[in-house]
Amino acid sequence: MVEKTVDYTGFRCPIPVLKTKKELKNLTSGQIIEVISDDIGSKKDIPAMLKKTGDELIEIREEDKSLIFKIKKT
Amino acid sequence: MVMKKMNYIVKDHSFEKFAMMAILGSSADAMDIEMHFFCTFWGLKLLKKNFKPKARGMPFPMKGMGAKMFKKRLKKGGIDSLLDLIKDAVENGSMKLYPCTTTMDLMKIKREDLFDFVEEPIGAAGFLEICDDADAVISL
Repeated sequence: MVEKTVDYTGFRCPIPVLKTKKELKNLTSGQIIEVISDDIGSKKDIPAMLKKTGDELIEIREEDKSLIFKIKKT
Repeated sequence: MVMKKMNYIVKDHSFEKFAMMAILGSSADAMDIEMHFFCTFWGLKLLKKNFKPKARGMPFPMKGMGAKMFKKRLKKGGIDSLLDLIKDAVENGSMKLYPCTTTMDLMKIKREDLFDFVEEPIGAAGFLEICDDADAVISL
């Protein structure tokens, strides 16, 4: 179940990464968050950040011109 | 997990370099990477409290208008203040800014002229020691 959805439409690098990280900090292990971004850099940036922090990227979806990330805090 | 460590030599005082410092530093903070910036020669000016960096690579001189334009566009992208990005990353402890002692002497810049959140000034040997176990050292 998705705990929270955050929409970062309009924001550019590095803001989507920074804000996603901040949101993850507030979650407890196992909780899932959905992040929406229309910054094309996010496609690589957010997975790169998650690889470092160890949180799990469940899926990336593309809808219209937006990317939707489903992330599980580990 | 061992934290990755990356070091940067900043030797230029343009707005672009300041923005790169802020964006790379804050992203590194989000990615749990340690980042050390050694600010030497003109790069030291970026750590001065009352210094307003100007955009360098404009097609013609714009007397500070270039930086203003970039700031406006960055704001649209969600970055209200580059300085705040740096402050946050420094507060979290993953970004460290080092003033170069020799440059401080050469340019007559005092510790109190610099932002309060910068590290103690270091010399070449001090920076090289930080580089000794770094994963990358890059000159900006």
